[in-house]
Amino acid sequence: MSAVEDVSGAGAGEIIVIFDQATVDLDALQRSAYAVAADMTVDIRLRGMDYVCTLFACHSGADDKLKHRFRAEVNDQILRARIAKETEPLRNLVFALAFSQTGLVSAGGADEPGAEDVAAPEAET
Amino acid sequence: MIKLERASTTLAPYGWQLLPMRFHHLDADSAILTNMVGEHVFVTPDELVAVVDGSCVDQEVLARLRAAHLIQIPGETLPAELLAIKLRTKMRGLSDSTALHIFVVTLRCEHTCRYCQVSRQSSAKSEFDMTEETARRALELAFRSPSPRLKIEFQGGEPLLNFPLVRWITDEAKRMNSSHGKDLAFVIATNLALLDDEILDFCADEGVHISTSLDGPQELHNGNRRRPGQDSWQQAVAGIRRVQDRLGQDRVSALMTTTEASLAQASEIIDSYAELGLRGVFLRPISPYGFALRGRGGANYDVSRWLDFYATGLGRIVELNRQGVPMVEIYASIIAKKMLTNTDPGYVDLASPAGIGIGALVYNYDGGIYASDEGRMLAEMGDHTFKLGNVHDASYADVMLSDGLLNPLMESLALSAPMCATCAFETYCGADPVFHHATAGDFIGHKALSAFCQRNMGVFTLLLRMMRDDPYFRKLMRRWAQSC
Repeated sequence: MSAVEDVSGAGAGEIIVIFDQATVDLDALQRSAYAVAADMTVDIRLRGMDYVCTLFACHSGADDKLKHRFRAEVNDQILRARIAKETEPLRNLVFALAFSQTGLVSAGGADEPGAEDVAAPEAET
Repeated sequence: MIKLERASTTLAPYGWQLLPMRFHHLDADSAILTNMVGEHVFVTPDELVAVVDGSCVDQEVLARLRAAHLIQIPGETLPAELLAIKLRTKMRGLSDSTALHIFVVTLRCEHTCRYCQVSRQSSAKSEFDMTEETARRALELAFRSPSPRLKIEFQGGEPLLNFPLVRWITDEAKRMNSSHGKDLAFVIATNLALLDDEILDFCADEGVHISTSLDGPQELHNGNRRRPGQDSWQQAVAGIRRVQDRLGQDRVSALMTTTEASLAQASEIIDSYAELGLRGVFLRPISPYGFALRGRGGANYDVSRWLDFYATGLGRIVELNRQGVPMVEIYASIIAKKMLTNTDPGYVDLASPAGIGIGALVYNYDGGIYASDEGRMLAEMGDHTFKLGNVHDASYADVMLSDGLLNPLMESLALSAPMCATCAFETYCGADPVFHHATAGDFIGHKALSAFCQRNMGVFTLLLRMMRDDPYFRKLMRRWAQSC
């Protein structure tokens, strides 16, 4: 799902995984780094057209296992971002339908006691 | 006879639209897809990618996804409407806060349990008893709750050490309720050591439910729960039998707390409940509060060891059910309700928005009001973050609109928390700002490092794998979903 290249043994204790910027969003990498924090910390740097991710293991373990874990997480985050983007309008529609009929929001608005205390939201431009 | 032609349900590639969904890999060959209300479908990782890509040709998979509101045919409006109705149904309890009101009628206790989370006091020190005036003010606040149901739970310490106040609160609550008409229930959380005929008569007359502690077999229980004479287990077992005989089998329930000594005895713990005719076991990990954190508090194990314990205990419960002994694992039943129905069980620890304040309020013996029992325990350790005021000078609005309640509720909302927002289990899980405040120093915590997250992910994954692989267990979960 993502173009990946890796370079092992770049420095003592460092594991490097490289992603092509054209196929992987920085957001997906950052979310992945957050999600794998129990196993590793990740340094992400832009080098030319690549994101260079340096993995630092929290515990001693196989380098390959860490790389697979990080790559799998990046792939999942890319898929999640794609689903979220495609379904966002429907998600908002469901929330709007669900909470527009709760009775918590008054159709009368300004006629309600205390309504004068609530500033009207400004229209977004 | 007119024969109706069924419309073709075959979906061509790219002939569907994704509905909001989240996924989680259960193992190398299986993933779960959940919709906005937690309805789920098992797929393979390849099927997951094919569905998102639009290239899936397996009509059986597509039919299951469509039935679970995970995909729809472009232009359809019904799936979004049905999801909205189900979502609103799940959330309907929010406007009915607060149902559970916990009265700490005394801090005194004659037990010295090694994992006790509260600051127990010697049973002679009556200055740690709640007064009638404090109880009256607390009741007035409780009756301001919009909830049509009020459950008043008496806690301690050992609440039966202040039994006259338990009786007074019950009478006063019933008197107040004559003008409110709420569905009123009472629970005494007691170790049963002080149970006598007068208390049993009272429970019988007033319909009071008894909740007690039973950690398992005699040696384990007495090792955890110490009292003069080292006979806590004997007292608890005798008390459970007396309540069952006098009030009925279902008027007493028991809770256990997992200490390190419990980990190797999961099946024995379950069997000790079955022998007493108790139909529910709540396999609870120790909470990271109070005396439990001391070296000898029993909390010296990690989440993975607890999950092994939970799996063994759950396995034994399923085995008993197969043998015709009906028994429920309470935590699994709460999750079953969240996974398999559109009704939220209202369990405070698995709620988002969190259950603090809106699910339960705690009135301490001195009138202090807390957002949860764990919040009170933190206060006993010197952290007053979850203290919302005092019954003697706070109004209901002061309490429910206080920054001390609204800030943790808003900040911890799972739908906007990192990792939770995209987690397939978000609708099954909760926010628990008290746990994360106690362990991580903020209301959200870092979920990749959170024991709460690790534990619940482990339980959800275990239950889902068992439901996927064992039709009997799936049927059992459907039955349990109706039991809480």
